[in-house]
Amino acid sequence: MVFGSWSYIALAGVVSFTMFVLATWLPNFRLLRSVWLDPSVSYADKIVLPVRLLESITTNFSVLSASYTMATVVLVGVNIAFVAYILQRQKQQLSAAGVTAGTFGILSGAAGVGCAACGSLAISALLATAGGAGIVALLPLRGGEFGILGVAFLCAAMYYLAKHIARPTVCGINSYIT
Amino acid sequence: MEIQPRQNNLLIPVAIVIAGALIAGAVYLGGATGDGAIVPQAGAQTGDMEQMNAIASGDHIRGNPDAPVIIVEYSDFECPFCKRFHETMQQATAEYGDQVAWVYRHFPLDQLHSKARKEAVASECASELGGNDAFWEFTDRFFELTPSNDQTDIDTVLPQIAGEIGLDGARFASCLAGKKYDAHIEADAQNAVATGGNGTPWSIVIAPSGKKYPISGAQPLEAVKQIIDLALKDN
Repeated sequence: MVFGSWSYIALAGVVSFTMFVLATWLPNFRLLRSVWLDPSVSYADKIVLPVRLLESITTNFSVLSASYTMATVVLVGVNIAFVAYILQRQKQQLSAAGVTAGTFGILSGAAGVGCAACGSLAISALLATAGGAGIVALLPLRGGEFGILGVAFLCAAMYYLAKHIARPTVCGINSYIT
Repeated sequence: MEIQPRQNNLLIPVAIVIAGALIAGAVYLGGATGDGAIVPQAGAQTGDMEQMNAIASGDHIRGNPDAPVIIVEYSDFECPFCKRFHETMQQATAEYGDQVAWVYRHFPLDQLHSKARKEAVASECASELGGNDAFWEFTDRFFELTPSNDQTDIDTVLPQIAGEIGLDGARFASCLAGKKYDAHIEADAQNAVATGGNGTPWSIVIAPSGKKYPISGAQPLEAVKQIIDLALKDN
């Protein structure tokens, strides 16, 4: 239903690609900024370097972190497309469960993404002042738990949203009985 | 249609905006200070590459010490990404020959890898007993042999490598038991944090002009080569 339309496929693709780019560039924004802002660097270099950094998904991620990162970026794209479909086509409200699961999914997915250099998690930036490194070190997967949790929440959100989309748009009798 | 509270209409856009803001915040915190995100000592997100200690006689240099481009790597012997990046650096330095020198400094992340500091001491002992070449032989062999993530049996592996590269076993053991290199290793680690290192491997590419390019993590060979090329052009 949703992916019968190219616009929703494009939306999901753009969102997923943007998240993937952010995940792979995350550790090296400082490098990219210095290259992009340097007038002595050619435009070709300014374009090629960020493209080459995308390959770090194979060098700067473990198999586990690369897997949940890819799953997260795809699921976030699909969830956003579902939400857009519901809001634009059905003009309906979403269930609180779908909203909650989607929000937690996006947040925990974002937290788990970026497990690049050893211990280099986005969540750690937020936890740093509270001893984030110590907290991450205590976890058996060294923070990979956030990524896995994010995938689980995103799957739950997708389920709720898909169920909502599939529900016939009829008036609920209960509303009138009470 | 079911009647639901009208305020639910705002939940989705608000949730998305909040999520986006948090993602942006994480990206900003990771990017603005430079480099990934974890901080071995909490709160040190104010690194400045100009704080990098000058290359001195205590440093371990592979290649031409007078090379136009110098890459200073802060590394952890138990970090799997350092193991991977070690290979990348071996390839890069082999390819660029006298154009690039590689300086190895210690950055053991004790909270994640409890064995890394002892292994750093072992590499310093290799250097003491066999010189700069022995340091690099030890380092190459260590990354080749060990599985990372604190799974190394150091009681077996360290003497084994020392024997393989021709060091005196008794003197190596005696050196390893001492504290002679603790301050040096700690100084390297502190300097990594001071320069903006938040995780390992953390590298700084220095151009002939003195300009510095930061590399966080095990970036692909082609990206490293492009940064070296940029540095070589920057006279």
